[in-house]
Amino acid sequence: MILSRKASAPSTKKGGTFDRWWFLLAAVVALILLLIFTKPDPFMRILLYVKAGLWTTVSLTGISFLLVMLFGLLVALCRISKSKVLVGISTVYVEVIRGIPLMVQLIFWYFAFPSVIQGIGQALNIQSFIDFKTNAISMAILGLTICYSAYMSEVYRAGIQSISRGQMEAARSLGMNYLQAMQHVILPQAVRVILPPVGNEFITLLKDSSLVSVVAVADMTRRGREFMAANFIPIQTWTMIALLYLVMTLLAGRLVAYMERRFKMEK
Amino acid sequence: MEPIIHIENIHKHFGNTHALNNVSLDVAKGEVIVIIGPSGSGKSTLLRCINRLEEFDAGKIIVDGITLDSAENINAVRTEVGMVFQQFNLFPHLSVLENIMLAQKIVRKRSNTEAENIARELLNKVGIHEKADAYPGQLSGGQQQRVAIARALAMNPKIMLFDEPTSALDPEMIQEVLDVMLNLAKEGMTMVVVSHEMGFARAAADRAILMDGGQIIEEAAPDILFSKPKEERTKLFLSKIL
Repeated sequence: MILSRKASAPSTKKGGTFDRWWFLLAAVVALILLLIFTKPDPFMRILLYVKAGLWTTVSLTGISFLLVMLFGLLVALCRISKSKVLVGISTVYVEVIRGIPLMVQLIFWYFAFPSVIQGIGQALNIQSFIDFKTNAISMAILGLTICYSAYMSEVYRAGIQSISRGQMEAARSLGMNYLQAMQHVILPQAVRVILPPVGNEFITLLKDSSLVSVVAVADMTRRGREFMAANFIPIQTWTMIALLYLVMTLLAGRLVAYMERRFKMEK
Repeated sequence: MEPIIHIENIHKHFGNTHALNNVSLDVAKGEVIVIIGPSGSGKSTLLRCINRLEEFDAGKIIVDGITLDSAENINAVRTEVGMVFQQFNLFPHLSVLENIMLAQKIVRKRSNTEAENIARELLNKVGIHEKADAYPGQLSGGQQQRVAIARALAMNPKIMLFDEPTSALDPEMIQEVLDVMLNLAKEGMTMVVVSHEMGFARAAADRAILMDGGQIIEEAAPDILFSKPKEERTKLFLSKIL
């Protein structure tokens, strides 16, 4: 599951004003409502129990993704820069991160990283390092951000490089500096190219965020495990959890498709 | 009088190719120069060195008193030098008007209204004011190239560089672009044009230059260069394109 990075947003056919995938979303929502109202015990109980975890999953994914968008862009700009040092550092970063499973990375950040910092603190006698304490949620955000930025930088890089060199030259010949040209000419065009893969990254991140349940973050998956451990009803619990994830990913998929159409029309 | 472009012994290599081999050239203010030559002769590279889209390995270029060395100087030169490309390179995500306004606002720090007034004025001048709100993809090649010229002119450049401005155009659209360029030349713009449009060269150019193998082979008034070339290499090249 960790390595399954396949596109999960069903692509919309151009033309129809209303896309059929909304029906699937509606069907899943209807199924959840049906379960809750026909069998409040256990389904309503499950929902109420995992509700806090649902918000954790949503905010964790949201915050991480914002950071991934920023940091990924920075890495991408380093990878296409003229400086050999920046290219070297960013390339090693991307290759190393992409070669390690996300689960292993998350475990490292939560269990190993604080000890590493404390060890350095003891060796160099830096008190604030020795006292270094962290919490599960910030390490989870760090882990997701570091990992996904590597993938996202590749998406950005492909998008930027898909814009013809003449665009940069035209902007530069008009006196714009590199960053102005990027901001006003290259990136606005690249956005249209990278929107579908960025959407897929978001949906994959949403699903992969369930892995943080192994590093003490009380997300929806972890709440589900707790509920199951207390009530011994695995089928109902995991059906409910699966449906809730499905609603979120389908909704995100529709949002991406909508944005794609908006950008196309502007062009 | 001090030349507005002073190129002194520049060299440029692409791998093993000696793309520019000890090229020197002075362009006076208001002069129109046409550069011809076979592909790979270094003519576009020379043009692109003038606004430093291409780095050169050795030599010196001074544009309007500014030596092309530091990043600040390069940007200063670029605001004085307009460039028109073979492939137009309009910004496809912006309307015609926005294409012409963008750099004015960012680089020249002009207000929206001021930039728009200048843009509309220039669109009038190149004869496509009715396309102000269209997007580049909706225009013909000739119209796109005229917008590209207007976009460069909006920066009030002292020099205009044209890199094969009509090579990517359908034949029936070439003249509309050349007409705009002829008008510019009449107004006294300093222009360096890489082009094989002999008609334009005869009508507007003060000098024509033949380049080959990264060197300037021959330069003369266009009539003389085209009808009574001295060098064998020039005769050979002209026999192929005329």
